[in-house]
Amino acid sequence: MAGLERAKEDWYPIAIAGSTVDGEQLDTSLLGINITLHGDKDREISVTADGNNLPVQTRYDHVWTTFSENPRPLFDIPEADEAGRVLVPCGVVRVKCSPLRAVENFLDIAHFPFVHTDVLGAEPHTEVEPYDVKIDETIDEVIATKVKFFQPQAAKSAGDGIVTDYVYRVAAPMVSILYKTCPPKPGSQDVITLFVQPLDEETCNVWPWMALYDYENSMADMISFQQMIFVQDRSILENQLPRKLPLDPKMEIPTRADMTSIAYRRWLKRGGAIYGALTEAV
Amino acid sequence: MVTEPVGLSNNLPIKRVMPARVGDTDIAVWRSASGVVSAWLNRCPHRGMRLSHGFVRGESLACLYHGWQYGCDNKCKYIPAHPALEPPTTIQTMAYTVVEKHGVLWVSLDGTPEIPALFEKLQPVRSISFNCSNEDVLSALAETTLTCDDGQVLSASDMQSQNILILDNPQNKPKLAVLFQKSSAANVTAHLLADNSWSIDGLIRISRWCELVRRRAEIKIPDNRRNL
Ligand code: FES
Ligand SMILES: [Fe+2]
Repeated sequence: MAGLERAKEDWYPIAIAGSTVDGEQLDTSLLGINITLHGDKDREISVTADGNNLPVQTRYDHVWTTFSENPRPLFDIPEADEAGRVLVPCGVVRVKCSPLRAVENFLDIAHFPFVHTDVLGAEPHTEVEPYDVKIDETIDEVIATKVKFFQPQAAKSAGDGIVTDYVYRVAAPMVSILYKTCPPKPGSQDVITLFVQPLDEETCNVWPWMALYDYENSMADMISFQQMIFVQDRSILENQLPRKLPLDPKMEIPTRADMTSIAYRRWLKRGGAIYGALTEAV
Repeated sequence: MVTEPVGLSNNLPIKRVMPARVGDTDIAVWRSASGVVSAWLNRCPHRGMRLSHGFVRGESLACLYHGWQYGCDNKCKYIPAHPALEPPTTIQTMAYTVVEKHGVLWVSLDGTPEIPALFEKLQPVRSISFNCSNEDVLSALAETTLTCDDGQVLSASDMQSQNILILDNPQNKPKLAVLFQKSSAANVTAHLLADNSWSIDGLIRISRWCELVRRRAEIKIPDNRRNL
């Protein structure tokens, strides 16, 4: 299958750390392959596919696994270790779409007024100002900077509307990290990530995770805010046709606001990260 | 390519959009504020969102995802992310021919719709939705009889095309047509059209008959799905 070998080189989230108990077994799927997570006596967990152990690590509050003996290193989020941040794993949302469509939607701001109306955006504030995007060859990431958007309620901790600044990183084909204005702590940035577990090419589990400076809201409130946002996104993601992400520019017409998406698609194609993508026009 | 009925005219009021299927093709049918009907491939040219989830703004259909607006000439009129930009005329939806006739919306994927002659003698009665598969509806239909005003019993003959079922009386005169519109594997909508031989009581009987068909179709659930 196109892109499967390349996809096997990456790490993927399959559970929230500490969510399994002793002896518990959890069956799930990764890249179309059945895998099992085993909770263990000494709280170590193991993951098997067809009886064989897979590499496992726990990072960013999630359990990660890979099919490769020699995987690409897990990306770095230095902010995750900063003192004072609240780390919030938000649970899982199952979405019937390509894992790549889920990441691309996360990189998109133009939909805020229409999909997250009165929360992350509102008409008539629909304009997307020019911003910078680059594919950083040295770290092999897509990076968008100087992204600005007017938001009526940017975060659980935001009161009135503000212009929010964003930086986006695509750190792996199925991992996106965003840094945004942090209302209670000017000068700092909230970190919100989307870790995507590809169940197969057209279905994924999305594990949002946040590292915030938010001292006022309860963990439950922050999680439900993020889940509400993501459920709104799901209503879009499950209605995009085709379900896989088209990489042929003839298939879908972008505009200037889509520069991040254009770079993301180009970067995927160039790197052969085409699991979940359509490489030819249909 | 056949012409397919995609719904009854009165199910699509002005400023509304609805999904439909023609063969394997997902389409969006919508009516502008001034009454113009369009049928498009159900896929926004921008990022593939189903246009049937959009909303009508005057003479345009706005996509739900990023609000791009497309006019009755199928061309993109407005991109909210760039309010000052005049969208290139090359950005347009994939449009099909749609004709409104005999109270039915007909779509052809290529060329002019050819409306089967028999429909000239039929008028819309009502639509009904079923929460079950097409097969369940068909088998319930085959087991449920409908009596005409003159006492004759109608039977369902073979499907005329993949979504039109005709009920004839013994003289082979079409008395009732059932147009199926499949929206998913577990959901079917049927539109009923009758000839002019039915009295008001007869039309009420048709309405009760299709509700009986629905009750029977929806309990035709395979054993492994039945909740005992
Ligand atoms: S997908 Fe329709 S406006 Fe973007
Ligand atoms: Fe969103």
